[in-house]
Amino acid sequence: MSDRQTAGEPPFSRTTARATTAVTGGPPERRRTAGSRAKRVLRQVLLALPLVILVAWTLAPFLVTISVSFKERAAVFADPGLIPSAPNLDAYREVLSSESFTSSLINSVIIGVGTTLLTIVIGVPAAYAFARFNFRGRHLLLLFTLLPRLVPSIGIMVPIYRLAVALGALDSRLTLIVVYTGMLLPLAVWLMVGFFQQIPREIEEAANVDGASLWGRLRFIVAPLAAPAMITIGVLAFREAWNEFTLVLVLTSTPGKRTLPYELYLMQGIEGIANFPGEAAFTILTVLPFILVYTRVEKYVVAGLISGSGK
Amino acid sequence: MTTTKTPERLQEPKGRRRWWQRPEKPPVSGGQFVIGQSKATPYLFSLPSIILVAAILGFPVLYGLWQSLYRRERLADPVEWVGLQNYNEMFSADAFWHAMNKTAIFTFGSLVVGTGLGLLFAFALFRVVQRLRFLRAVTVAPYIISNVAAAVMFRILFNGQFGVLNQVIEWFGLDGPSWLASPTLAMVVVIFAQVWTDLPLTILLLLGGLMTVDKSYLDASLVDGATGWTRARHITIPLLAPQILISTVWLSYSTLTGLGVVLALTGGGPLRATQTLAMEMYTVAFRNLEFNQALAIATFILVLNALLTLGYVAIGRRYDYEQ
Repeated sequence: MSDRQTAGEPPFSRTTARATTAVTGGPPERRRTAGSRAKRVLRQVLLALPLVILVAWTLAPFLVTISVSFKERAAVFADPGLIPSAPNLDAYREVLSSESFTSSLINSVIIGVGTTLLTIVIGVPAAYAFARFNFRGRHLLLLFTLLPRLVPSIGIMVPIYRLAVALGALDSRLTLIVVYTGMLLPLAVWLMVGFFQQIPREIEEAANVDGASLWGRLRFIVAPLAAPAMITIGVLAFREAWNEFTLVLVLTSTPGKRTLPYELYLMQGIEGIANFPGEAAFTILTVLPFILVYTRVEKYVVAGLISGSGK
Repeated sequence: MTTTKTPERLQEPKGRRRWWQRPEKPPVSGGQFVIGQSKATPYLFSLPSIILVAAILGFPVLYGLWQSLYRRERLADPVEWVGLQNYNEMFSADAFWHAMNKTAIFTFGSLVVGTGLGLLFAFALFRVVQRLRFLRAVTVAPYIISNVAAAVMFRILFNGQFGVLNQVIEWFGLDGPSWLASPTLAMVVVIFAQVWTDLPLTILLLLGGLMTVDKSYLDASLVDGATGWTRARHITIPLLAPQILISTVWLSYSTLTGLGVVLALTGGGPLRATQTLAMEMYTVAFRNLEFNQALAIATFILVLNALLTLGYVAIGRRYDYEQ
């Protein structure tokens, strides 16, 4: 089958080409043209069904949440339809004007940006060293690949809390930035090492011959080439800081110091009668900033997601 | 410091390649990267990372392990060395075995649902792989949502009074249950919510596996007349075994150590029906304030998880070698 591919084609993913033949050409469809038209239509419908389920499965929680967020508190029960009969922005107004949302949004942005920058500043040079130099301690790279799996956040929750109490580091944005960076670094370094190894060393050697210093090579050759990988780890770091819940839950305790997920969590408990539109609006507002950038960085997220699984 | 090492670099790395190793050139030891570089450079570059990771991921674990051998009787008391007493009491506590039981159900349920849906969706996506862009974006969407946001969404979706799911059930003329108030059904909801957050990676793993399946097997099976379900059952799924195993282990890692979804969705209730090990650890630590006892549970979770990870490595190695 693979010899159907012409050798001159650009090698943009052999797997895609293979998959293409699986979908468009090849024996199965040709054999089946004998079947009646109705049967073929039915077949297509049946084959599309899983995709419909996939889209519904993924989007249903989003859709119901968006729907509820545009309703009034009482209307949630009186008007359970997916499309609100009297849509209004009360819930959003309420959330946006609440102290808990604005302060936690600021915290989340600061912590997210801080984690992203710190991860890149610390992780990229380490990855470069692991990828390019042979030195004592290079074997630690292997540990980096295993650590995130050996040490889930549930394992460090209590010790980190006790240590933060002992160090007086509770309720601090810096603590959260450092902790999140530490949790993200193994993955970030691992991703970047793989990327640096794909940059031909000959380019750097040529620059070296031309007299470029280490700094010059990093600044003008490695960094521009590594930009996509840096965006990937940046996105992953920001996602972690933006979404992380269990550690911020134990590392902060005073109002005004929490991040968005924590405030959203508290919103469920504090009010006697559940304020569903408020929670829904809060959720949507938490998700929205990421959704907006997500469409641009989606392929980096996918790349990071796949590498993060270790394979 | 001398001449180029090109011939050596062109060689394949010695020994068989492990699953975690990409094909790589052996690194240089200083010689070629002379300008602007001292012997200390790689250390300067890598030390901040190594120190930070050791401080955040390494040290707390050791500290927790050590502290799990102590306890304090009352909050104001100083800690006393008690040896393995925390572990002994943990293993003889009903609450622990209750949590073990719930964790087993939670993990097994997530595995079955997650792997089943993952396979279904991966096969579906594989057929339309060129038009994947929109569908891939949709597939990955749950990954960018925090556990708390997912929990809120699921609480709205599964609400007994106005939830869309119950409306669908009532449309069929049946009575929709109040999902989160029933101990059995709450576990079902938690499983689905956990799978929902974990499924993007499962699907991508399986899809990646499908793309590397050797087409010649499928063609040969077509010549023999195998189609549709038969082909999937006897050819594709066995060939996918490595990816299925990896996603299985990943799902069980994620459910075993996952706290966010359970905590935000049910908080372990109703009637402790969703009190998994992670929830139990959280309860003991931050509700009962018995930190040292909680550390024993945390250590147990870490050991269980390490065993899983070892399995993961073993599986990955074996299959990578065979292919």
